[in-house]
Amino acid sequence: MKRNYKILAYKILSPIIAIFLAAFFSSLVILAIGKNPVEVFYTMFRFSFRRLDSVAIILYNSTPLIFSGLAVSIGFRMGLFNIGIEGQYLIGTFLAALVGFSFKGLPSFIHIPLVIFAGIIGGMLWAYIPIYLKIKRGVHEVISTIMLNYISYSLIHYLISEVFIDRTQKLLIRTPKLLPTALIPKLHGFLSLFGIELPKHVYLNWFFPVGIILAGIIYYMLYYTPFGFELRCVGQNPDASKSAGINPENVFYKGFLLSGAIAGLVGLSDLMGYFGYMDLDFPRGYGFDGIAVALIGQNSPFGIIIASMLFGFLKRGAEGIQTLLNVPMDTIVILQALMILSIVIINKVMSDYIKQIEKKGVA
Amino acid sequence: MLLAELIASSLRMAVPILLTAIGAVYTERAGVVNIGLEGMMIVGSFWGALGSYYFGPYMGFLIAMTAGAVLALIHAIATVTFRVDQIVSGVALNILAYGSSRFLSQAFFKMATTTPHVNGLFKIKLPFLGDTSPIIILALVLVPLAGFILEKTVFGLRLRSVGENPLAADTLGINVFKMKYAGVIISGVLAGLSGAYLALEHTGMYVEGMTQGKGFIALAAMIFGNWNPQGALWASLLFGFAESLSFRVVQNAIIPYQFIKMIPYVLTLAVLAGVVRKYTPPAADGVPYERGTK
Repeated sequence: MKRNYKILAYKILSPIIAIFLAAFFSSLVILAIGKNPVEVFYTMFRFSFRRLDSVAIILYNSTPLIFSGLAVSIGFRMGLFNIGIEGQYLIGTFLAALVGFSFKGLPSFIHIPLVIFAGIIGGMLWAYIPIYLKIKRGVHEVISTIMLNYISYSLIHYLISEVFIDRTQKLLIRTPKLLPTALIPKLHGFLSLFGIELPKHVYLNWFFPVGIILAGIIYYMLYYTPFGFELRCVGQNPDASKSAGINPENVFYKGFLLSGAIAGLVGLSDLMGYFGYMDLDFPRGYGFDGIAVALIGQNSPFGIIIASMLFGFLKRGAEGIQTLLNVPMDTIVILQALMILSIVIINKVMSDYIKQIEKKGVA
Repeated sequence: MLLAELIASSLRMAVPILLTAIGAVYTERAGVVNIGLEGMMIVGSFWGALGSYYFGPYMGFLIAMTAGAVLALIHAIATVTFRVDQIVSGVALNILAYGSSRFLSQAFFKMATTTPHVNGLFKIKLPFLGDTSPIIILALVLVPLAGFILEKTVFGLRLRSVGENPLAADTLGINVFKMKYAGVIISGVLAGLSGAYLALEHTGMYVEGMTQGKGFIALAAMIFGNWNPQGALWASLLFGFAESLSFRVVQNAIIPYQFIKMIPYVLTLAVLAGVVRKYTPPAADGVPYERGTK
């Protein structure tokens, strides 16, 4: 019992230490360009939490990261590294857009689920290739998913600029606009029931609660279903799982496709809730953000929600420091990388420390 | 003449992949997977351009190699000393390289994605190849040299033993941690050099994203070359050939150029899928070594 508390304590403590450590090292970078780090971090907070709409923007920013973090964490849970979220969500977003602008005459309650379904299929399709290559041909999933990311960039470029370009206008290279029936409603109406009135320029939509619910479902799946159990077993020891009658390859297939399916949802909040079309500048990098989110959230679905909000805040704060202090936004990219490094190192040190305590306890 | 031109351009395209692949051979032979090589190429290209802009090309190359080595040192501290997951550390370094280059580019040049034009080294006039960067010759010399160091010297033997069986090496009094650090840092220096080659010799400036995944392709070249420098040379030439061929096809424009751009990546996948042969990685590759455990 005492041991469990210790493990929980370190699970919560490590990310906090990691965040401070990363903030410290980023401060050195900020100092190096002659700015005051205290002022930078203070501005980030003030800019982000001064007004209600800013808080809502943070939640909007965190929406894709919840999906991305969950997708990465499913991979980590079974000991695989899905760096291909990036490509998977771009393909998913494209298929979703395709269904969104081409299926005419459907009511919203059919069209929206159909668009989401297309996104899921796209993500799974792009996740199927690396897991097939891994199991059948022994190709490490890290290299294959990275290659598939590059391939997806070119493929999406081709599809948007050559095949499905919106020919009704001449200026922009983008897909036709999604039909109004395919757009996700904002949360404004729902929130106003509780007396919270958000201004129009906030795009917080129903994907945010969907992400939270999905995190809950993933939690249930991991801890209360046989498949979740198998997934965790394979992640901890594939050989032992084999002797326990679990087929690791089967789990890898299902788990990786699940990861890809969730990845397919990453871009949909932006597509259906903000842009309404896909162009060559569609946001990239959510896949990599998801890695940081999953690690800071310690692969726990609820940790991932909190970590997503942290990164949503950082993104909002970065806009603040760029406009108000003229500090490059990329400060937060550096901060993010340092957070990943710090958290894995601290986790290792902490778990070694716990192992030592246990050893002493036994002796 | 067309053929000679194609060979020359294949070689020019192969060099950045080759340099990084030789580095990858060192780090993996010491048992450390370094997926951060892409990031080390990125810092090499940025710091190389920065160095050349202020102090000339020689300092540019030197600064680039130092930048690669610093990033590699972080990888070594994280993965060798703290034994964290080598892939996670590599991914973090790639993000760090991308973010810090953008940040510094903004701070120094007021542009996040490019630097002004920078000078490269002197050129050597050679038959067939024409004006040739000395780095190309250096890369070709490094292939047999790396082979010699790894196979024939005490240092190479120790480095390899650490990648095959660190426990046995440790028992024989070899400093496992030192050898692993050496392998990782050599890979960072070479990746930094390779990045600087791209910026100074190939393009004449730093452009964000100019490495285009060549660090990862170099890893594939190393695997395809079966973890030895000579093999990496042939694999790099294959990738270089594919890339230079793609430029020619673009000019013909029969196939959409986006598909041509995919060729190196699809080729990498095909090569790794073992269309051609089976691989034998070092026995303890990617496994962190901890004293007192089996």
